[in-house]
Amino acid sequence: MSEEPQSLFNQSTGAADLKIKIIGVGGAGTNAVDGLKLDDLGDVRLAAINTDAQALNNSPIAEKLVIGRSVTRGLGAGGEVDIGKAAAEADRDAIARLIADTDLIILIVGLGGGTGSAAVSVVAEVAAKTDALVLAFATLPFSFEGSRRKRIAEESIGELRQLVHGLIPLPNDVLLQEGEEDTSVLNAFAVADRWIGRGVNSLCAMLLKTGLINQDFGSLRSVFHDRGGKTIFGTGTASGPEYVKNALDDLFICPLLHMGDRPSQLDRIIVNVIGGADLGIAKVNEIMSIVSKRFGSREDLIFGAVIDEARRESLEICILGKADMEAAPVADPEVAIQKKATLEGGLGLETEISKEDKPPRPVHSSKLSSKQKPVEANQDEFMFIDIDAQRGYFDKTDRNEHNGEDLDVPTYMRRGVKIKIK
Amino acid sequence: MSHSRVVGAVEIGTSKVAVLLGEIVGESGLNIIGHSASSSKGVKKGVITDLNLASDCVHAAIMAAEKNAQSRIDEVYLAQTGSHLIGSFNVGTTNVSSPDGVIRSIDIEAAKADAKRRKLPGERTYIHHIQNPFSVDDHPVENPLSREGRRLKVGYWSVHGDSDMVSDSLRVIRGIDLDVSDMIISSIASGAVLLEDSEKENGALVIDMGGGTTDYVLYRKGYIVKTGVVPVGGDHITNDLSIGLRVGRKSAEEFKLRDGRAYYEAEDKDTKVWARGDLSIGDREYPLSAITKIIEARVSEVFDIIKDELEADDLLEPMDIASGVILTGGSSRLRGIDVAAKKSLGLESTISEGSADVSDELRQPEYSTVLGLLHYALTGQEAAQEAAAKPNSLFRKISGLLNI
Repeated sequence: MSEEPQSLFNQSTGAADLKIKIIGVGGAGTNAVDGLKLDDLGDVRLAAINTDAQALNNSPIAEKLVIGRSVTRGLGAGGEVDIGKAAAEADRDAIARLIADTDLIILIVGLGGGTGSAAVSVVAEVAAKTDALVLAFATLPFSFEGSRRKRIAEESIGELRQLVHGLIPLPNDVLLQEGEEDTSVLNAFAVADRWIGRGVNSLCAMLLKTGLINQDFGSLRSVFHDRGGKTIFGTGTASGPEYVKNALDDLFICPLLHMGDRPSQLDRIIVNVIGGADLGIAKVNEIMSIVSKRFGSREDLIFGAVIDEARRESLEICILGKADMEAAPVADPEVAIQKKATLEGGLGLETEISKEDKPPRPVHSSKLSSKQKPVEANQDEFMFIDIDAQRGYFDKTDRNEHNGEDLDVPTYMRRGVKIKIK
Repeated sequence: MSHSRVVGAVEIGTSKVAVLLGEIVGESGLNIIGHSASSSKGVKKGVITDLNLASDCVHAAIMAAEKNAQSRIDEVYLAQTGSHLIGSFNVGTTNVSSPDGVIRSIDIEAAKADAKRRKLPGERTYIHHIQNPFSVDDHPVENPLSREGRRLKVGYWSVHGDSDMVSDSLRVIRGIDLDVSDMIISSIASGAVLLEDSEKENGALVIDMGGGTTDYVLYRKGYIVKTGVVPVGGDHITNDLSIGLRVGRKSAEEFKLRDGRAYYEAEDKDTKVWARGDLSIGDREYPLSAITKIIEARVSEVFDIIKDELEADDLLEPMDIASGVILTGGSSRLRGIDVAAKKSLGLESTISEGSADVSDELRQPEYSTVLGLLHYALTGQEAAQEAAAKPNSLFRKISGLLNI
């Protein structure tokens, strides 16, 4: 782990040597990377991997890798996972070259199709053999895209989770809620890209910009020191006179923090805020105490604050939390790869993991006890860790399948009905 | 005076355990002498998920009802629901055996046996065989005995369930040394008490939307032609609101009961509702549209599923369901549920006011099913179901599950 001393060194030099690469895998992943608008973060390198040569040609991304020419003749995987897999396997060496000499790899992928769903785990496998910290943002298909794509995505998530340090699933059904009332389907896909953009931007800003409270790569690594487990991600943003309160409110109603399958306990959390020059240390302290009250004890919370001179009365909060697996973490990537090869059906694995995450763990005794004693209504409102409050309510029951849909998932979400709560 | 027996009607529901005590006097006298309804635990989507928890609740509810009645239960009639219940229509046929073509009882028995011939795999157990009309050479007849013809047919709507889940329910009752005399699926029990004979004759669809399941029964020309369970109920509405509004379950339940409506209206966008409305810190206001849109999506989906299931069997003919939809169960309290039902099913829909024969309290929708159980205890399920006539044949099979 050569980065450890290096990143400590970076802290004093403004992280000049930290090598970050953001890689879009497959069509949707490439589109998301295309659309990234990173605030002035010069050194972050963007790359794209796809089977579809023409789609790659149209992308403005600097580093592009067409995989599986021998398999698909550059024509894409046509939604077939086997083809996507074969394509990525054929070009393992090229993938290894693309990711070599990187400290932080951020994979962006849209799951459900042929290339992204299959190639991303090959990329993650290759990356797992390096020392790089690997995070992945993976969008999950809309319910209306059908149960086949959903199943492919679930299988892929199950594989990927074992291979990367942090996997952030972004269900399109959930994100659609954040679009405008009349969002078209095309725009709805772009909503996920915006979310990924906010997350990636916040991460990079935290690592690369100087701020009120600097967090370096070492802190990020400490949060994501093991592979496997579950990662949660949420952001809140606001501007105007009451921007602190409003950004916090926005964070607490972030739909990604209110999904059914999220872990009941978080082991470590990293929080980053980006504000203007008017964001003084007093405001940062206020934010810190409110956030730590909601999401965990202060000891488990790593807090960063970055100043963006262009902002005024404007704040963006981003949180990333990690819940370790109950079982011993898979430290050796080879083991993870072997384990992955024996896994059948990511779906079953998902359930296993989420169940295993639930049993009481001594780390956050405060949260555990708050579940047992009657909680004051106000607390209950935004209780982050409250098993009964979410889809987890139907946890112990059989899956409620009807025509390929899970009836326990809210209908409005499966139907793409937009709910405005503000 | 002939002897009297005290029957306990028990429904182990997802949100409530309902118990009614009825004293059956002589052949046809029934006095309701006690009742209780308490919140249920360890039950989700109509199925017991935690046997110990569920047992404790049921035992407490039974004791409360016994105390209320100042009497002890002699036998239990138990309701059953859950998505594991599967129904199918089976037709039995036989060639009339006598050379003169006059149908004898031996032919009738043969046709009946043929309809019920389908064996189930070990993990499944029949709960009901519900007889439908006979036909002689394809002409429907009420009673084929002594008629002339060549071929006799009879249809049965048969319902079977998962053996483990059925025996779990039985085990809960056996746990307090009570005998279960019969098990009746919730939809049939509710239908029995809410419908007049004329409504059954004209055709009616009873939809019982409870906490964890929505049970329905369709009557056509006086016969039960289909039953079904959609494993979605009021719990799902609460859960959807909790996720959609990003509030705790308790607040979601409050929103549902206080502000909920089964359909969305354009004006809801401009109407604001408060989470608690007590001006306390952290209270927020929400557009009513968020609540009504979430509920509308869920409720209409349930009705649409029922619609699809009926259409799949060509049973959704408004002409044949002239009495329309009758809604009951705890979730029928949801404002506008009749409007939503009509919109999806295209049938006139009314919210049941309960049986006219009982006190106001027992007219609450939560009691429909248990009242129906008492009805069956009283009538011995004469016409609707054959099992009761020969309790040893069918029901022993279910009870036998426990003795293995």
